[in-house]
Amino acid sequence: MSESIIRYSGRQARAIKTFLGRFLGYGGAQVGLVCLAFFIVVAAVPDILVGPLQTAINATGEFLAPPSSQHVLGTDEVGRDVLNLVVHGARISLTIALLATVISLVVGTTIGMTAGYYGGVVDVWLMRFTDFFFVMPSFVLALVITPVVVEVIGRGQEILGFRPSLFVILVVIGMTSWAFVARIVRSQTLSLKERTFIDRARVVGSSNFSIMVRHILPNLVPQIAANGALVVAGAIFVETSLSFLGLGDPLQPSWGTLLSLAQRAGAASAGAWWYLGAPGACVLTVSLSFVLIGNALDDTFNPRRRVIP
Amino acid sequence: MSRRIGSILIRAIITLLMVAVLNFVLFRVIPGDPAALLLGGARTSVSAEQIEVQRQNWGLDRPLFPDQVLDYLSSTLRGDFGYSFKFRGRHVADLIVERLPATIVLVGLAQFIAIICGVMLGLYAGWRRGGAGDNIATGASLALYSTPAFWLGMILVVIFSTALGWVPGYGAHSPGAIAGSLDWLLDYLRHLALPVTAVALGLVGQYVVVARAAMSDVVTEDYMVTARAKGLTGGQMLMRHAFRNAMLPVVTLITLNLGYVVAGAITVEAVFAWPGIGGLTVEALNARDYPVLQGIFLLLGASIVVANLAADLAYGLLDPRVRQ
Repeated sequence: MSESIIRYSGRQARAIKTFLGRFLGYGGAQVGLVCLAFFIVVAAVPDILVGPLQTAINATGEFLAPPSSQHVLGTDEVGRDVLNLVVHGARISLTIALLATVISLVVGTTIGMTAGYYGGVVDVWLMRFTDFFFVMPSFVLALVITPVVVEVIGRGQEILGFRPSLFVILVVIGMTSWAFVARIVRSQTLSLKERTFIDRARVVGSSNFSIMVRHILPNLVPQIAANGALVVAGAIFVETSLSFLGLGDPLQPSWGTLLSLAQRAGAASAGAWWYLGAPGACVLTVSLSFVLIGNALDDTFNPRRRVIP
Repeated sequence: MSRRIGSILIRAIITLLMVAVLNFVLFRVIPGDPAALLLGGARTSVSAEQIEVQRQNWGLDRPLFPDQVLDYLSSTLRGDFGYSFKFRGRHVADLIVERLPATIVLVGLAQFIAIICGVMLGLYAGWRRGGAGDNIATGASLALYSTPAFWLGMILVVIFSTALGWVPGYGAHSPGAIAGSLDWLLDYLRHLALPVTAVALGLVGQYVVVARAAMSDVVTEDYMVTARAKGLTGGQMLMRHAFRNAMLPVVTLITLNLGYVVAGAITVEAVFAWPGIGGLTVEALNARDYPVLQGIFLLLGASIVVANLAADLAYGLLDPRVRQ
């Protein structure tokens, strides 16, 4: 095995180089990557940039003060610095969206690959199951599942560093947004399993599991990556909407929670555009970045069949 | 043909059943028995025997499966969704029916505007692919596509209601308006302006994107080259050949989209305190009024399934190739 890796490494490096050249040639990909890099840095070290998360107790400003040299993005209804809130919100929003996407990709790939590889009855039933999640929007499912599950597990202790409601939102988004990925992975697996190299692996005596993981999965990476970027954009959207409706946690405010707080404080009718403008603009930028990156990936891998132009 | 319709119907029924079963399961995993939950407010004065009698009345002493599930399914089929916690004693079905018209007006009007503007713009952008108009339209619609509609609503309130004072940004009627008069209607329309704009803007980006993609696919087809070779003008090619073929995916998307439209409208309604299903959802969420929440979920699920059914059937009518 190690020999073959060495033998092919030259070709692999060349392929990666061609891919990067074409991918970075798209203007959308460049804009998306730059914005995303910025937000990831911000999310990684919020404390260094703006200090610890402000609360009503250690708030530093006036109530609902417009932007000034001291508070670049103004303050909220209890005098907290909006820049501070938005920077800390980046960490919450991005982590939730990315972890939800990981869950969604793992579930979607597993189900799609199993259905496509085994075919027959397994395929029919798995796809019928997938149909349900394909038809029902993640937001609608999450809207009813989240409050119930939060009630069941209680609102007390943190789970893996998340407040319970955020952890539930994260898992629920992941578990309800995989259907699209499953469908694409399945159709790709259907064509891959007919190829000669799969026959060769079977003749050599590889098990079904090993064929799926070592031979089919690597060939699915392009589709999974391109759609993964779109799944992240969707996850941000759902998380923001759910938090806006009050399912988030004020102790770990995401951008959606900030918008919810702004709405409850009557920021719109008070004309406090800085308070509601900042988190929304962040949601717009990040989710647009992922859409642009997803499109550019899709164009690079598969110029003829595109999800979105 | 009939075989295709049969399998579509079976899929729709299975999906609806799964919605109903999910509803049942969710409601029953909440800690605490429904009887204890409902009588909880008066826990001290209610004896254990009384709770036990209530449990028997409601059939809670029988096994979950199959008795309780079947009970639930049959009462749901009869339109009995139970009683609200928050609005004491009110039927969930009544509450939903009461709020439905406001949402239908909002969503219907917004859909209409978004379809007209979005599809036209998208088809044009795809027809003139690569031009300046295309680039602007595509960029703007991708940005709109990535923006939560409710945030657009908040921005609209800040600009057009708070700063400029042109239209109200809250509720559906001014206080003291008399129902039925012309003034009342105008007042209603003024209240409707911002929510409709927000929902429509949230949809228009997606329609532009899909209509543009459909049109750019059609433009590269062989029959378009043939049409050009026959000597048809650009306008004739667009109307006779390109338009109808490009509309195929667009019609499907618009029908399939219903679930997302209503879901988007929920958050927009929350911004404007619009007295529709979205407003009801927020009230139910805040009061943890599960029966109402379950009823709304059932309504959304059913309308999504019906929309999908309509899309599948319409596709067969529009595209003869699918019928075989």
